[in-house]
Amino acid sequence: MTTLRRLLALPELSGGVRVLAGAAGLDEEVRAVRPLADPGADRPAAAGELVILTTPVEPGDWRLDALLRRVVDAGGKGVLVPMPADGAQRTPVPSPAAEGATRAGEPVPSLATHGTVRLADRLGLPLLGAVGDPLDLLVAARLALAEPELDRARLVLAAHRAFDERTLAPEDVVRRLRDLLGVPAALLDDRGQPLAGELDAPDALRTDEVVAQRVPLADGVLLAHPALLPHTPRATFWLVAELRGTAAARADVVPVALSVAATAVQRWLLAQRLELERDARSRSVLLGDLLRLDAEPSAQVRRRVADAGWQLGGWHVGLRIGAPPAFDTVAWTARITRLLRAEGVDAVVVEHGDGWTGWTTFSQEPTSARVRDLAAALRAAHRPLHRSIGAHMGVGRPHPQVGGLIDTVAEAIDAARLAATRPEAGFFLHVDQLGMAQLLLEWTRTDTFEPAARALLAPLRDQPGDLIRTLSAYLDAESSIAETAAVLGVHRNTVAARIHRIERLLDVDLRHRDERLALHLACRAVTLSQPPARSP
Amino acid sequence: MRIDPPDVPALERGVAVLGSGGGGDTRTATTLLRRHLAAGAEVVVHSLGELPPETPVVPVGVVGATAVFAEKLPGGHEFVAAVAAIERWTGTRAEAVVSIEIGGLNGVMPLVAACDLGLPAVDADLSGRGVPRLDQLSLSACGRPVTPAALAEPSGQVLVQGTGGPADLERTVRAFLPSGGGWAALALAPIPVGELARCSVVASVSAALRLGRQILALGESPDPARLAEATGGRVLALGRVVEVVRRPGPRRHGRAGFSRGGVTVADHASGALVRLEMENEYLLAQRDGRVVASTPDVLAVLDRRTGVPIAGDAVRVGMEVMVLQVAISAFWTEPGEPGRIAVLSPRAYGIDTDPVLLGGRR
Repeated sequence: MTTLRRLLALPELSGGVRVLAGAAGLDEEVRAVRPLADPGADRPAAAGELVILTTPVEPGDWRLDALLRRVVDAGGKGVLVPMPADGAQRTPVPSPAAEGATRAGEPVPSLATHGTVRLADRLGLPLLGAVGDPLDLLVAARLALAEPELDRARLVLAAHRAFDERTLAPEDVVRRLRDLLGVPAALLDDRGQPLAGELDAPDALRTDEVVAQRVPLADGVLLAHPALLPHTPRATFWLVAELRGTAAARADVVPVALSVAATAVQRWLLAQRLELERDARSRSVLLGDLLRLDAEPSAQVRRRVADAGWQLGGWHVGLRIGAPPAFDTVAWTARITRLLRAEGVDAVVVEHGDGWTGWTTFSQEPTSARVRDLAAALRAAHRPLHRSIGAHMGVGRPHPQVGGLIDTVAEAIDAARLAATRPEAGFFLHVDQLGMAQLLLEWTRTDTFEPAARALLAPLRDQPGDLIRTLSAYLDAESSIAETAAVLGVHRNTVAARIHRIERLLDVDLRHRDERLALHLACRAVTLSQPPARSP
Repeated sequence: MRIDPPDVPALERGVAVLGSGGGGDTRTATTLLRRHLAAGAEVVVHSLGELPPETPVVPVGVVGATAVFAEKLPGGHEFVAAVAAIERWTGTRAEAVVSIEIGGLNGVMPLVAACDLGLPAVDADLSGRGVPRLDQLSLSACGRPVTPAALAEPSGQVLVQGTGGPADLERTVRAFLPSGGGWAALALAPIPVGELARCSVVASVSAALRLGRQILALGESPDPARLAEATGGRVLALGRVVEVVRRPGPRRHGRAGFSRGGVTVADHASGALVRLEMENEYLLAQRDGRVVASTPDVLAVLDRRTGVPIAGDAVRVGMEVMVLQVAISAFWTEPGEPGRIAVLSPRAYGIDTDPVLLGGRR
């Protein structure tokens, strides 16, 4: 805030300007300085203005009094009148309010008469008398008023130079920021804990409000700016500068530098993220290729697998972690790997759809005890994941070699899909050798599943040809039409036609493994809970 | 209407207030009038309707430095000489006189002239207040010529200006006066009474008399509210004069113009600073910088105790005064005649602001 007193302290003004009256108003904020050639000009004064008369007025000119009134009415902050330097028109001004000017009665070169001085005192409007060119004073005052803007502009330029196109690590950004501002600066994490730099009062930050902040301190101010990736709810980092003592005067200027620095940090975050995404994408493509293999992998695929650091040999146990839809999986991959490692599981984890698919590899066939230990470790790793992001997890059985990898991953995926609906199992399912059928059958007997099964098969009811039984037999016969025909005692063409109708009525593709599984379970649930269906 | 010796104090007070701080000292003029009355002269002021419409009336008055008028006293022949000159020039005998200016000494001197000439006066004048220049008479406001005009100064010179506009006459008079003793009697061409009714401020002598009586009736140290009520005006301040500034005014026609000045009165009740801008008259009043009153309304500074108007050249720091605003005659603010007010508005004095009148009249 620039006050009249501050303007008067400017070297250009301090020598030749005297406060003739209205010293009480010297500490009000001056926002603009306006030249006025004619005191009688009917131009409206504006609030916050210091009016500088550029041409001398005669002593006692009524227009000066009228001008004072106009300026006061408009909320102006002062009037400066030129005074002759040669003392040609000297009027005694015995005003006690003439600050720093004279002893009482000493002649003061003045174009303001006693009456005008009294009026300015009465109105509380600073009346200044100036020796020297009023235009010089005007320019000096305007430059001084523009100083904060100039300071800000200089700082912005310096900040852009400091944080140029190179991608700097946040720690480097903070170091440069501190050098640039000459005040303590720090990098905080998303909870406000310091990562780099030094700071006395980091607790004052409100990390839940992801906006630039200005926190008053006892002897200064704390300025903070968040750095975050687009579309993320919390700031990844906070850049904080502490302005104490005289430095606090720059509190209006520094935020712009923090903002530039935050942009540099954001650039680093984006670069990091780009690396992760690129990596995740290539691994996810490789996983997709592996899962689609129906023969021995080609040399090229094996080479890519080796480059990724994966093993195809040995025994694999697949795992699948499902995340809520549209979850930012890439950002969490490293954390999941860390979590698994913390439980002693060294697994490959690949972002895959809404979640992660992975496996861990044993050099030899694992004993059932080892499999149980592994399952326990995975369950332990899953628990915090479920708490923080609501993830569910499925684990497959051990299978050897490349084909086994595909199988165990498929089991894990199926198990994970089931786990998502199994709060009683803690959203965690392990398909072990004994458990699979039991688990599923147990599941089909629940009160929630049976109505769902009935609803699923509802379109087949009351249709000619006993379609539910046909479907059940067909699925029991591992999709063999001939065997189904034998079981049901009908012609195989009949079976094929019925299967075709079933697929149409249910709008399913029975070649699809998931749908097959669901329908199989549904048939089982319906037939188990009912007396044998009537024969065709 | 006859003016008798008991009427003189009220007349003097009335014309002094209407002088608006100017118009010259009335004491010499009233002394002369009292002498005539004491000598048995009869001063008759006819209302315009009492005279036949064709009756020629000669406007008369004193022009020049009124301060010199009090030192270089009239000999009684000046108005006779001026009127004789204008009679000879126009070939019309004067049958009555009318004052050019009711404010100040010219509110009384035409009555003295009437005694000198043995003519009656009429109840009207050409200003309705004190005015400083001959181009500000009601004749100019009505578009009537002011010439021919005759000037007679105390040492015997007589000057007739046959033609010329109001500004020309003003310039001639100002050029003539320094060589002619500082003041002169002025007589303008006779105006028939019937026409005078349309181009003068009517009944202004009786109005001045009434105003003076009302103020005198308030006695010493008049109450401001009662003063305002009695005069139909407004008291802008009651306080002490804290500053009087005098300075040379703007030059006119290549010679020094009337001097300018300002008087600041600190109002006792409110502490407000009421500043009067003056030339020969008080022209503008500012209250804490804001313009609250202006010419053509009459602005008078009255001694707080005696109620005697204090002229602009006599006001001094430390005086206890009342500042009174009295409405100007309706002649100047006639709604159908917007050109009239411009003759007496602040801008006619070089003060760049609109008139601010009592009751917001224009």
